[in-house]
Amino acid sequence: MRRIESQIDTNAADYKANYAAMSERLKEFHARQHAARYERPQRDFDRLARQNKLGVRERLELLLDPGTPFLEFSTLAACREYDGAVPGAGVVTGIGIVQGREVAIHANDASVKGGAWYPHTVKKIVRLLDVALENRLPVIHICDSAGGFLPLQHGVFPDRYLGGRVFRNQVKLSQANIPQIAVVGGHCTAGGAYVPTLSDYNIIIEGTGAIFLGGPPLVKAATGEEVGVQELGGAVMHTSVSGTGDYRAATEQHAFSLAREIVSQWKRTPKTIIETASFEEPYYDPKELYGIIPKDRKTQFDMREVLARIVDGSRFHEYQPDYGTTMVCGFAHIWGYKVGILANNGVLFNDSSLKAAHFMQLCNQNRTPLVFFQNITGYMVGREYEERGIAKDGAKMLMAQGGSVVPKFTVIANASYGAGNYGMCGRAWDARTLFMWPQAEIGVMGADQAANTMADVKIRQLQREGKELTEEEIAAIREPVLEKYKRDVEAYTSTSELWDDGILDPADTRNALGMSISASLNAPIEEPHYGIFRL
Amino acid sequence: MQRIFQIDGVETDCWLGHDGSRFVLNTPTGAVACQLDPTGLPGGYKLRAKGVVRELRLAVGPEATFMHMDGRTYEVGRVDPAERLAGSDGGASDDRLVAPMPGVVVSVAVKPGDAVEEGQPLLVIESMKLETTLTAPRDGVVAEMPFAEGDSFGLKDILAQLAPEEE
Repeated sequence: MRRIESQIDTNAADYKANYAAMSERLKEFHARQHAARYERPQRDFDRLARQNKLGVRERLELLLDPGTPFLEFSTLAACREYDGAVPGAGVVTGIGIVQGREVAIHANDASVKGGAWYPHTVKKIVRLLDVALENRLPVIHICDSAGGFLPLQHGVFPDRYLGGRVFRNQVKLSQANIPQIAVVGGHCTAGGAYVPTLSDYNIIIEGTGAIFLGGPPLVKAATGEEVGVQELGGAVMHTSVSGTGDYRAATEQHAFSLAREIVSQWKRTPKTIIETASFEEPYYDPKELYGIIPKDRKTQFDMREVLARIVDGSRFHEYQPDYGTTMVCGFAHIWGYKVGILANNGVLFNDSSLKAAHFMQLCNQNRTPLVFFQNITGYMVGREYEERGIAKDGAKMLMAQGGSVVPKFTVIANASYGAGNYGMCGRAWDARTLFMWPQAEIGVMGADQAANTMADVKIRQLQREGKELTEEEIAAIREPVLEKYKRDVEAYTSTSELWDDGILDPADTRNALGMSISASLNAPIEEPHYGIFRL
Repeated sequence: MQRIFQIDGVETDCWLGHDGSRFVLNTPTGAVACQLDPTGLPGGYKLRAKGVVRELRLAVGPEATFMHMDGRTYEVGRVDPAERLAGSDGGASDDRLVAPMPGVVVSVAVKPGDAVEEGQPLLVIESMKLETTLTAPRDGVVAEMPFAEGDSFGLKDILAQLAPEEE
């Protein structure tokens, strides 16, 4: 496979300006990520120490194989909610390696509001369990939660994808023969009691772990019975009397070594075999991405330059290089895995949509996973294009994309506007993982267009009422709308709301994709089949 | 597997195949069965071909393999046939820049009469929320820039024209 010949001049003024702008953004991003992971008010650390508990990061260190990567999801979930007081939505999720096996991890962070479940906590856990189901990954739950956050119970409990979905997904995992372990390192109260009890294996840490449907205060209020935590639902009672717990651990260290031992008992199912090549680092330095991604989002850039810094050996076999050129399609390897890549080099036209649809069918036929690199402002509009059937050709692309049976992975590299987001495997289209770059934006249209549209509606409404508006009055209507919309389309809003699986430093994209692809091969790939293509 | 080998800078066209037990090098003058066995020394091999056995040493790099044999060192480069045989992709470049889609001119960098180099930015257009810089397809002199900053243009309108190349 041939190497992409980069045209980038790393001494050019543009490159340097872009590099500086991206470095600045990344400094902020890494600082925010570090804060979400490690920075808490001292009283929270003191409380954990008093309770004789380890922090969630220390627990992960004990659980995961030393020196192996942990692909953490949505570190900045809820960063724009609850006044920023619930970092990471109070839970750590991700894919890690235990005894050489890929597992999905759901770990409550008791340093955040005692691990209480906020609406975004539930969303993050449900997403993780969906990842486990789609990729057939065993799950390890580390339970330490105060329970649902009562003032916001309506956002935690009743709806289809809220609290109940956590337990429903646990049932579905078990039904699909995907094992789960729960390590109980704190209280599992009420609904929370079902996380360990629906797991195939559970371990309770003596002294700190407890499981009960109603805690001591609730029992006293309901029946008048006075009972302590340990007698009601402690490790000794559950592992020797009720059978609710399987293993009693003397310490946290003991609990995680037991969990690791349990994982090594499981039967290994062979992974799906796809085409592979020997591993090769990119020929061009991934850090050069910083200078390639323009500091002004509207500036066009060549996605081949991006791919050259992501794929093995910077090698790319381009499909239909001279047709539908705003859609770059081709084969490459990431971590040795053969993938089909679709990347935007401009607006989607009729020909580029057809090319994408055709290429995705090739990849499905060939059992080649798909990777999407989004920089898409939409499908082309205008009379000429409507007459050529742009909506019909876009529908073909959606039919091929949505009907794909191979695993899909999405990187929102820059713009993700409108229906282009759908065609390029946006969140609703079941990408196994979807990541955003920090400067990327997502919205139904660009900020200027949205602000103008919303302002125009308001202005026309006022004009119908007979009001004449001055320039200043129009600006006064437009500006706040623009400001709000600009914030709403930012990557931090997206990641706060869990519309993605996290923001990535562009230089880490290759490894995040490599881990995602590797994990996806735990699930089989079915025979390709589609719906009706509007020809 | 088709290979184009460059031995000390000279290209030779051959196919390296395998018949299940040994390699066969298909050359323009016929097939040569060959076998390479390690001697145990670092990079050391015994090459058997045409009934002759030669000892040699190999050092493999990403772009070329160096072979030391009979007191001489040969550099054997591997050339990707798809790349080597692609020829010049561009062909004759056009004198005109044609609008890839309807849009608006954001800025114009040159005026008629200006000498430009290949790749030099001529103008920036905006369409569908994307700004695209259009560059000179070759070295030359600008003949026409039909649109000014702020002008709208349609699909396939000519956005810049270079003076014809003099023979």
